Amino acid sequence: MASSLHSQTHTNTMNGTSASAADPQSHISKKPRLHSPPQPLLITPSDILSEFSHHDPSIARINNGSFGCCPSSVLSAQQQLQLQWLQQPDDFYFNQLQSRILQSRNIIKDMINADHVDEVSIVDNATTAAAIVLQQIPWGFAEGRFHPGDAAVMLHCAYGAVKKSVEAYVTRAGGYVLEVPLPFPVNSLDEIVKDFRKALERGKQKGRRVRLAVIDHVTSMPSVVIPVKELVRICREEGVDQVFVDAAHGIGCVDVDMKQIGADFYTSNLHKWFFCPPSVAFLYCRRSTNNSDLHHPVVSHEYGNGLAIESAWIGTRDYSAQLVVPKVLEFINRFEGGIDGIKKRNHEAIVEMGEMLVKAWGTHLGCPPEMCSSMVMVGLASCLGISSDQDALKLRTYLRDKFGVEVPIYYRAPKDGEVGPVTGYARISYQVYNKVDDYYKFRDAINQLVHNAFTCASLPN
Amino acid sequence: MEHEDPRNGESTHPCSKKPKIYSKFISEPEIRDEFSHHQPRVARINNGSFGSCPGSVLEAQRQWQLQFLRQPDAFYFNTLRNGITASRKIIKDLINADHVDEVSLVDNVTTAAAIVLQQIGHSFAEGKFQKNDTVLMLYCAFQAVKKSIQAYVTRAGGSVIEVRLPFPVNSEEEIISEFKKSIEKGKSNGRKIRLAIIDHITSMPSVVIPVKELVGICRAEGIEQVFVDAAHAIGSVKIDVKEVGADFYVSNLHKWFFCPPSVAFLYCKKSNVSSDVHHPVVSHEYGNGLPIESAWIGTRDYSSQLVVPAVLEFVNRFEGGIDWIMKRNHDEVVKMGKMLAESWGTNPGSPPKMCAAMMMVGLPSRLCLNSEEDAVRLRSHLRDCYEVEVPIFYQVLKDGEEGVRDKDGFIAGYARISHQVYNTLEDYEKFRDAINRLVEDGKTCKML
Repeated sequence: MASSLHSQTHTNTMNGTSASAADPQSHISKKPRLHSPPQPLLITPSDILSEFSHHDPSIARINNGSFGCCPSSVLSAQQQLQLQWLQQPDDFYFNQLQSRILQSRNIIKDMINADHVDEVSIVDNATTAAAIVLQQIPWGFAEGRFHPGDAAVMLHCAYGAVKKSVEAYVTRAGGYVLEVPLPFPVNSLDEIVKDFRKALERGKQKGRRVRLAVIDHVTSMPSVVIPVKELVRICREEGVDQVFVDAAHGIGCVDVDMKQIGADFYTSNLHKWFFCPPSVAFLYCRRSTNNSDLHHPVVSHEYGNGLAIESAWIGTRDYSAQLVVPKVLEFINRFEGGIDGIKKRNHEAIVEMGEMLVKAWGTHLGCPPEMCSSMVMVGLASCLGISSDQDALKLRTYLRDKFGVEVPIYYRAPKDGEVGPVTGYARISYQVYNKVDDYYKFRDAINQLVHNAFTCASLPN
Repeated sequence: MEHEDPRNGESTHPCSKKPKIYSKFISEPEIRDEFSHHQPRVARINNGSFGSCPGSVLEAQRQWQLQFLRQPDAFYFNTLRNGITASRKIIKDLINADHVDEVSLVDNVTTAAAIVLQQIGHSFAEGKFQKNDTVLMLYCAFQAVKKSIQAYVTRAGGSVIEVRLPFPVNSEEEIISEFKKSIEKGKSNGRKIRLAIIDHITSMPSVVIPVKELVGICRAEGIEQVFVDAAHAIGSVKIDVKEVGADFYVSNLHKWFFCPPSVAFLYCKKSNVSSDVHHPVVSHEYGNGLPIESAWIGTRDYSSQLVVPAVLEFVNRFEGGIDWIMKRNHDEVVKMGKMLAESWGTNPGSPPKMCAAMMMVGLPSRLCLNSEEDAVRLRSHLRDCYEVEVPIFYQVLKDGEEGVRDKDGFIAGYARISHQVYNTLEDYEKFRDAINRLVEDGKTCKML
């Protein structure tokens, strides 16, 4: 099967270099054009290999979505900052830390089209951001602003940690939780919009007041890009007090424009798709929203000075991951088109890889290409017998240990009346360090398992 | 030599580049080398604020970080949890806890305080406590902890009693008697004290508090929960959590126990309350007990929690291990404190037995340190112009209080000097000379 991926031009496109750079006669294009500023040297495929040379070479690492990645030039910059702290921590604390965090916040503000840097706080991860937003709820009940039966709304496939946070902060305080089931596999944006509106209307039936909606921008498992702008609008129409978009996979993966999306709160990890080291995320809080009551749960000296300032000091810790954002921007701008170019090429590549796999296995994608970002769900042959969450995890472990393939597996329970459904989907990711061979390795592993009549039932517990 | 020296590392460690062969005990040049990343010209006599970490532990940390970056999924599923458990077990033994389930690792004491106080806040919100039930703390409690009380207790309707301890202080009896008096006063109006927060070693001004006795008083007075904020304790004083008898006991490992920033342990004695204590950053493990919750609060760098075995190795390179280090730091800081006080004609803030590895030393009254701003100004000036890093405390006198005098006036400023294994006599001589110079030049804080 001839794949366009074999062509050098296409490979170069996937790896983010200009098509002409691989051309042996390209020396002409490298000269700066007269009467215009010299083009910065674009990153080359061998640069990229070197930047990610610390990745385990024996693994087909097609799971950027879970833990992200960080190029070595950013890791070096981080080490320098860590060293500066260790050399003279008091001096760093008094003279450097706050201004550097502010610098990172300003860069993020520009990238996400926020109005004001006050709206941008930096925290460890989306999990922390969720706790911050949700902690307002019990205070609302305790302080009499909310009443028994007031509700929070979230997607049924909301991230596990966020569901637990909703349990800890909403259910415990006496709130009602409405879960919106979304279809999967999904065929169109309309399906999502329709189901969401229906569920919201139904939830409000008993005159219930919806205090907070938690909406994923890109769901985790199964992974689909949600039309958040439309859903936020529906929330406003239905009188939802506050909307929180959990975009753990947002920045570097989908378009992240705060004013367009219009949510009250929006969080995204920077270590997943934005090349930061573990770990750092931003939490955007729209100024016009009444959210002066948002606090970091780890209370320190700056309590009451606004979330962004509170989050910039939560006791002695290593803040270096928050300080390398300028260096990350440098790295990203070595790619043609910067982060937008990377997003576009990642998306094109993952669609191509996904289609290659489903063709090889005779299955289907979990959603149409326009509903995926740089991740896509790929159906696994039903003869593998994935019949539970445990099966999915066991298969994942087996693929890691026996085939050197790292990919998360999702179990999709069959619905009533379905005949011979696909019950397992792999969530494949594409990031700049990935190669076609990574996906061939996965393709071949599954083909081998099918050939050997392997089933999950045969795996030990 | 072919046989494995156990000091060269356990099998849970990622492979280091080459096996380290150590001579019997660490030598002076080796100590200097371990801390060679410290800025050389600075007299770093403030270990108390941000601690320190030797090069070999930083290297172990890098190995853990690299392992995660290399294959994070495998690390998450196969390595992380066991590594954290290994660290918790070491700490359990160091502090004489009954069970590893009582030991959680968190970022720092500030986080631990939020964990304990959030639980108190829930009790108010859920009607278990009544409005105006009380939390008791020291007047000199760490500022971050005070804010946490505001955020979780005051906001929920609880009231606060502040116990003002004498400073300078001459004996433990003074502390104990003042503490008793405050509790009695606090309980007047029939208020119920739900939680007492007691520092083991106060921050500013720094004094070692007789916590065992104070916890005993709390129990005798019917105070339900006692939380000991021992931010400075581990590596600085001997810890026996069963002896101390508190419900919660927390200490930073990056201050005096050579861990990189940042890691602390929170000990929670098994009780009805301990099962309701949660990490505020809620993740998959919610409800599985605080140690398990804290071991995963989302994707982060957990490497500082994983190097505790490497730290133990480091500490055991000193003859006498951590006990020797603690004694040495104490003896030296007392000696240095005396030297400074004699040179300046001032006084120490407390007797030697109420110091650990830090000591408060009075500053000459001629510096006219009369406000918080003066203290900050002096500290910055010492850093910028004399390359001395030392925190300065301004003593606000209570109405009617007279204060200690030197030959020129009232002493209102104190420096908190620390001693850790990397410190030398020159560090303190540099500080001595800087202050003497300022006094000779007729400088007051306002001029700086």
